Amino acid sequence: MRPCPRPSLRSRRSQRFTSVGWWTSPVLSVSPAPLFRIGYTRSTMTRLDAIREHQARRGKVLAVLPIHYPKELLTALDILAVELWGPPGPPRGPDAGRIQSYVCAIVRNALAFISAGGIDAVDGLLFPHTCDSIQGLATVVPDFGAWPKPVFHYIHARGEERPSARRFVEAELRRVAGELAVFAGCSLDESRLSDAIRLHRDIDRLRVTLLDERPRLPLADAELYRLLRRGEYLWPADHLAELEAAAAGLAPAPVQRGLPVLVSGIVPEPMSVLDALADAGAFVAADDYAAVGRRVNRHHQAALDDPFAALVELSFAAPPCSTRQSNQIARADHLEALLESSGALGVLLHTVKFCEPELFDLPVLRRRLEARGVPVLQLESELEPELSGQALTRIEAFVEMLGAATARGAR
Amino acid sequence: MIARRLRYELAGRAVGPLLAAVERRRGAGGKAARDGGPFGPPLESTRRLKELMGIYYYQGRWADGAVPVAWVTSGFPVEILRAHGFYCVYPENHAALCAARRLGPELCEVAEAAGYSRDLCAYARMDIGSVLSGDTPVGRIPKPDLVAACSNICQTVVYWFRALADHLGVPFILVDTPFVYGDFQPHSLAFVAEQLEELAQTAARIAGRAAREVDTQRVVELAWRASQEWGACLDMGRHRPSPWTAFDHFIHMAPIVALRGTEGCLGYYRQLNAELEDRVRDGIGGVVPERHRLLWDNIAIWYRLRDLSRLFADDGFAFVCATYSSAWAQSWEGFDPADRVGSTAAMLSGILLNRDLANRLALMEGLVRDFSVDGVVLHSDRSCKPYSVGQYDLKDALQRELGVRVVVLEADHADSRAYSAEQIETRARAFMESF
Repeated sequence: MRPCPRPSLRSRRSQRFTSVGWWTSPVLSVSPAPLFRIGYTRSTMTRLDAIREHQARRGKVLAVLPIHYPKELLTALDILAVELWGPPGPPRGPDAGRIQSYVCAIVRNALAFISAGGIDAVDGLLFPHTCDSIQGLATVVPDFGAWPKPVFHYIHARGEERPSARRFVEAELRRVAGELAVFAGCSLDESRLSDAIRLHRDIDRLRVTLLDERPRLPLADAELYRLLRRGEYLWPADHLAELEAAAAGLAPAPVQRGLPVLVSGIVPEPMSVLDALADAGAFVAADDYAAVGRRVNRHHQAALDDPFAALVELSFAAPPCSTRQSNQIARADHLEALLESSGALGVLLHTVKFCEPELFDLPVLRRRLEARGVPVLQLESELEPELSGQALTRIEAFVEMLGAATARGAR
Repeated sequence: MIARRLRYELAGRAVGPLLAAVERRRGAGGKAARDGGPFGPPLESTRRLKELMGIYYYQGRWADGAVPVAWVTSGFPVEILRAHGFYCVYPENHAALCAARRLGPELCEVAEAAGYSRDLCAYARMDIGSVLSGDTPVGRIPKPDLVAACSNICQTVVYWFRALADHLGVPFILVDTPFVYGDFQPHSLAFVAEQLEELAQTAARIAGRAAREVDTQRVVELAWRASQEWGACLDMGRHRPSPWTAFDHFIHMAPIVALRGTEGCLGYYRQLNAELEDRVRDGIGGVVPERHRLLWDNIAIWYRLRDLSRLFADDGFAFVCATYSSAWAQSWEGFDPADRVGSTAAMLSGILLNRDLANRLALMEGLVRDFSVDGVVLHSDRSCKPYSVGQYDLKDALQRELGVRVVVLEADHADSRAYSAEQIETRARAFMESF
């Protein structure tokens, strides 16, 4: 097999405006009126644009179901990952009915979308072993004819870190790497994998900066999340360039004036939940969404002379997540640490209906947070296009309560 | 400690059997479990089953402090714990018992009040509700020294059992069985085998001693033989008429779940098997007359067993096999005593719910052919996503490939609040009329 093309680990959009990080390319647009006070322009590239552009370069594209997977392997093999979170909104095809209504909308919508030809543009599908429902989808799709192209699986070691689990994860990574190399039609060399790990480490470093320095970032929550979530489909080097541009716009002092809130859940859908928080006078000061913060690895300590060993380290150093069956106590500890570091006054637990992994964690999390006197709002959604009026009212009331509590504290 | 152990042994060897004998004598002149109608005569073994399970739960009241106690999942390699002298409690079995006694809503509400969503598995909610409230129909459940889960039946048990361990302040151990898409992966089997070694070390630490090899061999042998006997019992359903039905399986499977690896379990299935052989020889069917033969898929609807069995039996429909009850026989088929750890790893990984739908379809097709099945009832179970996702595709495939009639009934295995009697009856009747 030929080696994978090395240059693609660099951004393909290197033109930048100098001092404020503006950058552009044929697929990016400069907003007519600046959306942000920093000089950062958001990509208008759609998932389909990203797929077509990557394929035009003879790279392969995999649609990837949520949530955790070794993206570094894909990058090293010149495979573009385009994540499939439903998509949100009503099912885009009749086949959602092939899965029971008591299964989450991410899974039902994904089957509808796949069956209706929504992802025909990609070359294959990757299913991380996230939960019982995605596990089911991962066999419905190939076994019952919804998808004729290659299908791959990535299985996590569940439970606590232990030597047997580490050995399994490394073997599983090597198995997946072997299968993906055949799919990509190019061999994986370990130095290239190390490069890919470095690239994703840089992405994580910038995501940590943007999330931790949130008060100094002059972006609306919704824009920040659009930026972070473009990592779900942009080529990583291009995503890195966007993140760098945004990080360059950090103000020297806090610019966010709202009440700081910690958000946790699976995925920030509908995204209007972020607008609702902002409209009510709050901003996201810390993030624990599985789609966002729980995929930001803060512990890139591993040496890269053995890249597979480094990936194993990263796998076990990732923030605790219900979908990897992390210990619920560790998850509660993690939320408390986020609360302390961010100064968040309250917590929004935003779950997707029927999500068993997340629902099992909630009682423990609520007990711990309430014991600390931290106000909690639990909101459930089903990837609907917009928040209901009832949900808006609850968010408003929650933020008002935080404001009142803060005022009482100040007095 | 000695006094506690003595009390525990007395409960299991003397008092429990004595109480069972008194109960047997008291019930000897009572009416049979079944009221005739469309059913064959009740199985004599049912009395022995009640005694066996009664003694098991009775002895359990005195287990903590006397012997190490573990709470385990139904797919757990319990043989390792038994060889170390553990008394094992099965929260799933207990939840099924609670559901059959229609305690589901009451116990679920306790868990829901503690923050557990109604969208979670009802077994989990009932069990957590039972722990939080202390309510149980079996008198008392011994407090565990260890909570142990195997992920081969679902991921739910991992969350549920860890929540129990955290609540009870005891260690939690997981045997993780990577899901099998297609063929077994060597590194997955190696991972499971390693965890079996880790489990043995944990069990030895808690028990204060390592198991003797002879004990381990004995327990495994007993479990293996019992699963073979259970498989032979299930195979009796191939006869026409079938001497018993899947609704009987759901009752009589309790020992293979909860007492696997014990003399009592093996002895029980030998007795049951002999009785079923007699019924086959005498042409006694579980449903009289047996007009049509059905396959049941998914967990039983515990709180409606009698109603459902009657609904179908009234029109001569007999459930002669079930994917659910088959699991405890089918999984042991590849067991090799010469490679105990390796074949146990494969056995644990190869459980129906830990494999893809292509495997499940092949199993169901085999059951349809081997048991001369005319129709299939798929219980779409709100509480069990791994068992239920894919059922609509299975339905289409079975209809298309085997020409059998298939119906999906939506319910919940333990929470009766999710059961619509009118809807189920209407669908079941329409299904039966189609024959």
